[in-house]
Amino acid sequence: METVFELQNVSYTYLEKFQALKDVNLTMTTGEQIVVVGANGSGKSTLLSILAALIYPTAGEFHAFGNSVTEEAFNSLDDNEFGRYFRKKVGVVFQNPDIQLFCSTVFDEIAFGPLQLGMPQEEAKRRTEEIMSMMDISGLRDRAPHTLSGGEKKKVCIASVLSINPDVLLLDEPTAGLDPRSQLWLVELLQDLAKAGKTIITATHDLDIIEQISTRAIVFGEDHTIKADSDCSAVMKDLELLVSANLIHKHMHRHATLMHEHLHAHDGAHHHEH
Amino acid sequence: MIPEWMKEVETGPSECCPSSVDKKKSFVEKSISGILNFFQESMISEGYTKRDGLLQSIDPRVKLVSFLVVIFAVSLTRDVEIIFVVYLLTLLLAYLSKIEISFFIKRVWVFVPIFAGIIVLPIIFNVFMPGDNLVTLATLGNGTHLGPLPLPSTIYITKQGTISAVTFILRVATCVSIAVLLVLTTKRDVFFKSLRSLRVPKVYVLTLDMCYRYVFLLMDAVRDFYTAKKSRTIKTLPMGEEQKWVAGRIGYVLLKSLDTSERVHKAMISRGFDGDVKLMHDYVMQKRDYATIVAVSAFSVILVLVSQNIIVT
Repeated sequence: METVFELQNVSYTYLEKFQALKDVNLTMTTGEQIVVVGANGSGKSTLLSILAALIYPTAGEFHAFGNSVTEEAFNSLDDNEFGRYFRKKVGVVFQNPDIQLFCSTVFDEIAFGPLQLGMPQEEAKRRTEEIMSMMDISGLRDRAPHTLSGGEKKKVCIASVLSINPDVLLLDEPTAGLDPRSQLWLVELLQDLAKAGKTIITATHDLDIIEQISTRAIVFGEDHTIKADSDCSAVMKDLELLVSANLIHKHMHRHATLMHEHLHAHDGAHHHEH
Repeated sequence: MIPEWMKEVETGPSECCPSSVDKKKSFVEKSISGILNFFQESMISEGYTKRDGLLQSIDPRVKLVSFLVVIFAVSLTRDVEIIFVVYLLTLLLAYLSKIEISFFIKRVWVFVPIFAGIIVLPIIFNVFMPGDNLVTLATLGNGTHLGPLPLPSTIYITKQGTISAVTFILRVATCVSIAVLLVLTTKRDVFFKSLRSLRVPKVYVLTLDMCYRYVFLLMDAVRDFYTAKKSRTIKTLPMGEEQKWVAGRIGYVLLKSLDTSERVHKAMISRGFDGDVKLMHDYVMQKRDYATIVAVSAFSVILVLVSQNIIVT
């Protein structure tokens, strides 16, 4: 399998003060389904932004598709074949749909990516229609993004990225704010994309979907370092690890494969009943 | 876990007073609800763009260019009767485009008297523009001054001034009606894209489009601030405090909009944006569009020729 991303001792510091990532070493290969898990502020979204070449490491090296990714290399896509290749290969679904949906209609939103990457108008139009039909959102064609529900917005976000047909998909908290039915739809879509051979990297703290959408889990601790990088089932069984990464409450635990949650009280002596 | 004071719960019947009704709204509430109503109305008026009417069926580029030509011709026309005929035509177009006439008239005449009326009001008096007496307002006698300004012995409304004022107001109303017709019958995104036919640079078209999209998002944020404040307001704050709060929120909205613009830019970059935006253009000119542009251009030329007395009616 080919290496997609390689990070060597990567660190990232915001405003030269706030560390978001510390000494990250990772290799990701084609066709992998990976989740990046961690508590709020652990660095998941920062890692995704680096993988998407939207920000650049303040220390260490980042390689994508065998090329070094630096700010200079991405300054202009016009003079940069690799930049254009990268944008075609890597699609990002942001956590906040209102950031991602910047066009005035759903149709324009989905057609935006293909047009920017130089696809002829007619082909971009055809592809947009196909994606809308696949995602069952043809009825939203001329709707303005601010008039859509949360689930519809998420569908349009994903459609706007899939219209580029990227081989690598980066998703930041994709289930945030979705109702159970939309979550299930999303999980099934990611499973289908995985079967098709796409590389899917998802940042989340939704433990319920991890084993359904990925085979490998990278756990970030609150000190912004990688605490574990292993297969999903091993990570999910390691309760101590999950507690130390602030991913589960110490009173939430598993019985075999079932997640068990029970009532408990903190008034006076702690007690609970199974 | 919770402190002792939080464990106190008031039980029993409430000893509170009857609720008082104060119909007066604070200036903050009035301003915010006014702005929100404006946006709500603009969303509702988008419904007209979907109706199966005459103007909705015309190519947006043709509509934009045609309406600009007519506005230009009307602004050159001096004859009040001709302007009135054009105004009546806008009403007919509104009717054929399935826009309620009462809504259309209200939409135009709410603003025209405020802006055009105030500007033009002085010229109807002989104090500012001499002319024939139409209605006498006051007889002051000779040698009256208003400060250093000498006043005429009689103050009256002039015939010429009134005709000029009516012509001006009607001209403004007709031009506003044409602009309102364009806006009501054209989808916003299509309208912005049609600006490309006037060679407006793509980046401005995209910026306009995005401004329109994000102004709703920021308005939602403003509404949420206000609702959150209202939910925790126990007594009315003094005007100064309210103004401080508004100033603080304005600053916050500015920061939020800057942060949003940075994130949106990243989202655009991630989908291949490189500074040279490419927009979808899928308009095809039909026979009726060509006919429209020819007819409107001919009408505008005749309008100008008649008003300049080159063609005598």
